[in-house]
Amino acid sequence: MAFDPSSLRHLFPILSLQAYDHPLTYLDNAATTQKPLPVLDAIQDYYRNTNANVHRGAHFLSDRATNRFEQARDTVARFINAPEQSHIIWTKGATEAINMVAFGLEHLLEEGDEILITSLEHHANLVPWQQLAFRTGARLRVLPLTSKGEWESEFSHYFTDRTRIFAATQISNAIGTSTPLQTMLDNAKLQGAFTLVDGAQAVAHYPIDIQALDCDFYVFSGHKMYGPTGIGVLYGKSHALDVLLPCQTGGEMVRHVSYQATEFNVLPYRLEAGTPNIEGAIGLAAACDFLNIQDRPALLAWEKSLAAHVYFRLHKEGGIDIYSPEKNTTLVSLSVPNIHILDLNAYLDSQGIGVRAGSHCAHPLMAQLGVAGTLRASFACYNTLEEANRFCDVLLDAIDILGDE
Amino acid sequence: MNNSNQTLTIKEQLQACRSKEETFKTLVTLSKILQRLSSEEKTDENKVKGCESAVWLIVEESNGIRHFNADSDAKLMRGVLVAILSLVEGKSVENIQKINLKSELAALNLTSYLTSSRTNGVLAILEKITSR
Repeated sequence: MAFDPSSLRHLFPILSLQAYDHPLTYLDNAATTQKPLPVLDAIQDYYRNTNANVHRGAHFLSDRATNRFEQARDTVARFINAPEQSHIIWTKGATEAINMVAFGLEHLLEEGDEILITSLEHHANLVPWQQLAFRTGARLRVLPLTSKGEWESEFSHYFTDRTRIFAATQISNAIGTSTPLQTMLDNAKLQGAFTLVDGAQAVAHYPIDIQALDCDFYVFSGHKMYGPTGIGVLYGKSHALDVLLPCQTGGEMVRHVSYQATEFNVLPYRLEAGTPNIEGAIGLAAACDFLNIQDRPALLAWEKSLAAHVYFRLHKEGGIDIYSPEKNTTLVSLSVPNIHILDLNAYLDSQGIGVRAGSHCAHPLMAQLGVAGTLRASFACYNTLEEANRFCDVLLDAIDILGDE
Repeated sequence: MNNSNQTLTIKEQLQACRSKEETFKTLVTLSKILQRLSSEEKTDENKVKGCESAVWLIVEESNGIRHFNADSDAKLMRGVLVAILSLVEGKSVENIQKINLKSELAALNLTSYLTSSRTNGVLAILEKITSR
């Protein structure tokens, strides 16, 4: 197998930057990935050769822009194996997509209904549900991890006949743990709940087959999978998208408007008010194309091997609390007793190493782990073994420098 | 907290830094001279909002002269606090307000701590130091 990241690293010009006289080592990929040349080129090409508003004027550029924009939707639909491209709604990102569902389903919720999430959720898949619960009198329930960071062997009792919505992440952004999604979704479906999966951390690493997963909604952001920022996707099954009330109205999403009434457009346009992020959609499609031509199992195996290597080295060193799983993850999340993660982060930064230190938008999870935050090194396909080792070396130096009192 | 001689030393130490790494190491050294606060003094009221690391700052005034005591749970921030307080300790509000603290800190190679990013609340600290 032996995947060699240098086979594609040259496609990411930003990675050859120097940071304060050190080679830039970018290990903050769970926050956002860098963008390959095909994505950069697609965006530039759009403005150079295609730019016009879509779905409106009937002229040369408008037709070309509309075609490329709708082709992008088709590319994304095939990327996650969606049955039809009308099931792909463009959004700003995963956060907006979840909010669209939380507002769009509000009219179906009653006091005493239950919304179930897991304790691994990013605030983006927590706060919209909490606020929905406040607005409707529904109850927000949380399916927890055990104190060992594992799932309870039996969690079906969390799914009740009042569970109307089940929303879960595929992979934790903070600690890299996967959810036993299929079992959870089966439980939710047994109770007739709407199901939403937050795929933000999964799409860059795992091939997604939305029909096999069989959830009602699936959301992700383009920028975490080598695409541009400001574009994301809300996928929904027909029946699920059909019941969503649009939370934004205006142009593009209408068929006919009078002062007395408005007839909404069909899907996907009904949920896409205003001029869309055309360059974003085209850039995201280029990112899908980039991933499609890779040996994805080899990329994933490589990313996991880097995380496992770092886990193994730091675990052997001792004195470091590691919160991410030993294997089967693409990131390492840690803290060091008596040393502030921001101090560790500052030293890593001074050596040109970019990681993330903080609560990772998951305050309740951090509280459960008993830490204020963690330091997270997250890997992408272009990271090298040398970079993984450099992270370990510099982290250990930082602990030496900061540890003495 | 320190006399002008020491101020010069702190200033000189930071100005001599030629790289981000040197600044880091100097701040770690400086952090050790900060007098830590007791747990009773680390109240919510004394906490500076907007810092990702916890920062407490106590401002006392007698005869028009301001005295400062500060602490943080992050070592580097304690070093930054030493640098900041060396500029303002024992001065009147009027004199403190005349100092362009942002450019003074920039001259000490601490510019990266002055961005309004959520990772540090130095601006919030400066505001508390200069507010009436």
